[in-house]
Amino acid sequence: MKRVLLFVMFSAVCFGQNAAVTKGLDIYNKTCGTGYCHGVGGTAGGAPRVAARGFDDAYVMQVVRLGIPHTGMPAFGTMERADLLAVVAYVDSLNGVTPPANPNLGAGPVRPKLSAEAQKGREYFADQVRGMTRCSVCHQADGLGFPVTLPLKTIPANLAELVQIKTPELETATAEGDTFPALALDKNGAQPKVYDLTTPPPVLRTFAKGSITFKADSAWKHADMLKPYSEQELELILVFLRAVSKP
Amino acid sequence: MRYLPLLFALSALYGQNPSAPDGATKADWPSYGGTPLAWRYSALDQVNASNVKKLAPAWMLQTGDYDQGLQSTPIVVDGVLYLSTTHAQVFAADAVTGKVLWHYKYPVPRNASGNIQNRGVAVGAGKVFVATFDSYLVAIDQKTGREAWKVAVNDARQCGCNITAAPLLVKDKVVVGSAGGDSAFRGYITAFDAKTGHLAWRFYTIPGTGEKGNETWKGDSWRFGGGATWMTGSFDPSLNLIYWGTGNAASDMYANNRFSGVGEGANLYTSSVVALDADTGKIKWHYQEIPKDVWDYDSAYECLLIDREVKGRMRKLLVHINKSGYTWVLDRTNGELIGVYPVVEFHTWLTGMTEDGKILGRHEPVEDKPTLICPGPAGGKSWNQVAYSPRTGLMYTPVIETCSNSIAREQEAVEGRGFLGGSWSTDPPPGESIHSHIDAYDPVTGKRQWSVRYPDLMLASMLATAGDLVFTGDPDGNFFALDARTGSKLWNFQTGAGHRGSAVSYSVNGRQYIATPTGWGSIAGNGLGRAATEGPAPRGGSALIVFALPEDVK
Repeated sequence: MKRVLLFVMFSAVCFGQNAAVTKGLDIYNKTCGTGYCHGVGGTAGGAPRVAARGFDDAYVMQVVRLGIPHTGMPAFGTMERADLLAVVAYVDSLNGVTPPANPNLGAGPVRPKLSAEAQKGREYFADQVRGMTRCSVCHQADGLGFPVTLPLKTIPANLAELVQIKTPELETATAEGDTFPALALDKNGAQPKVYDLTTPPPVLRTFAKGSITFKADSAWKHADMLKPYSEQELELILVFLRAVSKP
Repeated sequence: MRYLPLLFALSALYGQNPSAPDGATKADWPSYGGTPLAWRYSALDQVNASNVKKLAPAWMLQTGDYDQGLQSTPIVVDGVLYLSTTHAQVFAADAVTGKVLWHYKYPVPRNASGNIQNRGVAVGAGKVFVATFDSYLVAIDQKTGREAWKVAVNDARQCGCNITAAPLLVKDKVVVGSAGGDSAFRGYITAFDAKTGHLAWRFYTIPGTGEKGNETWKGDSWRFGGGATWMTGSFDPSLNLIYWGTGNAASDMYANNRFSGVGEGANLYTSSVVALDADTGKIKWHYQEIPKDVWDYDSAYECLLIDREVKGRMRKLLVHINKSGYTWVLDRTNGELIGVYPVVEFHTWLTGMTEDGKILGRHEPVEDKPTLICPGPAGGKSWNQVAYSPRTGLMYTPVIETCSNSIAREQEAVEGRGFLGGSWSTDPPPGESIHSHIDAYDPVTGKRQWSVRYPDLMLASMLATAGDLVFTGDPDGNFFALDARTGSKLWNFQTGAGHRGSAVSYSVNGRQYIATPTGWGSIAGNGLGRAATEGPAPRGGSALIVFALPEDVK
């Protein structure tokens, strides 16, 4: 009985930890445990065995975060923090290590969950099915897309405002026999740099000094870029942008 | 004119069409596969069987970018050699002296991770084109090394994709594929205007809603169905067609959630060869080698374009080795199957194949227990390329013999995340050790003319020359020349690091050079490295070593 009681107490203390290990196992199986890499249960696949190697928590954390140069081990430092900790907890468990209890383990992303509408808007914003005509080809939000434009700070209040967005910063550039709508990053430096917006995706072009000229204004219209989306889809994209933009 | 009788004599011997496109390189090595016909064959014959023993290093280039070795194919144009490295750095060097003319350093994003490797550049239209591990395509001014334009092919963080292959320059466009088909990803081939970087066209290897072929996918599975285009395609100017191989369907080993059973073919156009109009990117024909792939048998490898006589009729052919260890011979005007033959000795994934290419007795991974299947996902050949000599009429092929215990596992697609639908180990073939062989085949009939066995895994490309030599390298650092007619070794040089790249030949001022990348790396290289024999892992590094005959040797 005593033993059982002790076990129950131990389990309760370690519950957060076990949840992390379980979560880590799931991520590990899909990412690290493939035949290309460390194999099921860390028993080695294409890459070395990671079970029963005598690794400590700090080492596992370092290697998962930073990778190992000159080997096939990539750096996973950009993973969601909770996922990363969970994978480390699982690999630790394969090496008999119980890492320090962390109440955040297994808790998932820190960011508040997006509403269903915002989530849908997020999908439209970066919708791969639309190819190069999706918003994220020029805009960055919530870790998706490319910051061709300035960060999206002021989100249009409604669809009408979105359609009426003006782009006074755009100019008409002429260089190498082409004339094109341009967003200049550096007009007067040693190597002028502009985004050429002729057709999405934007092309970042660099020219020799003096070989590009600019005229104010451009025939390019943001409203044209909205056409692949329905009004309802655009509304949802605005919901998403409001949810993730920092005022 | 005096060469004509000789050409005709050769044509008669090997069934060549004298008016056929010539895939041989001359002084330059202008394209990834030598020419866009992908023969990896140089018409230079200054170095030959009688003098190859005197070959000696002329110069070396240490790139300093040692991660993942040097997997690249150098390009040589007008006496300048262009070389890309793992992190998409590009060198331009004097091809005689090795003096670096310029060095372009792609800015590596902070926390860059994932599949970082690079297999070459394309050169033309006054620019050098390199694709990157974070899915950009960059054009560099050929003279100055200054960046001319840069365009995002995709959002690497979202798609879980990257570009490892060399781009292909086709007329005024630069065409590039993408890796990522073991993630939840939908493959494509994209063409950009070489001068401006403007998007010209994109072809998705998986048809979208309403497009023909989409019905072969269950539900929404087409959105993340793989079909990556992770190697470089070929181009036939006489037909204005681009040929590209496509990768496995995803999830790799578990097909129940993607196979609709509707329409002709399965999970189109994965594990296929597609022929696209070079101007529009519209599909002209396709041939699916592995319908409903569950073995990770990509069809992504090189498309060898040759014209040969078949049953008394001159045919325009496309010869294509699949990861499954089988080689398909197609009519490249229409995709008609001419023949199919195995190059691996162990092929347990099927019991046989009908004359019209139907797979019999599929031996598939199952969910509850490991199943030993040969070849494994490493393939009967890796992405290193074959060579074809019009003088011998033979195709020179590196073949690896490995198997895998594979398990299928149902998996939900999460955009950009790993989507293998199973796992596997790397195992020796039944009753054998892991090994490889270099073979010479009649590319049409599949008749093997000679074969040389190697205890380790040969993961470097073949180079054939008009000196009737075949060059390649091994994991131990040996770079060597074989007699193209017999396979006997004529010359060997220890370069100090494993070979995972593609040697080329070129000439400047009448002197022939042989250039080989050295430095071990890549997924297969790291994964299989020393699977076959005892000893230390193959050595990394990143150096180009250029050989020539000493000036006094004629």
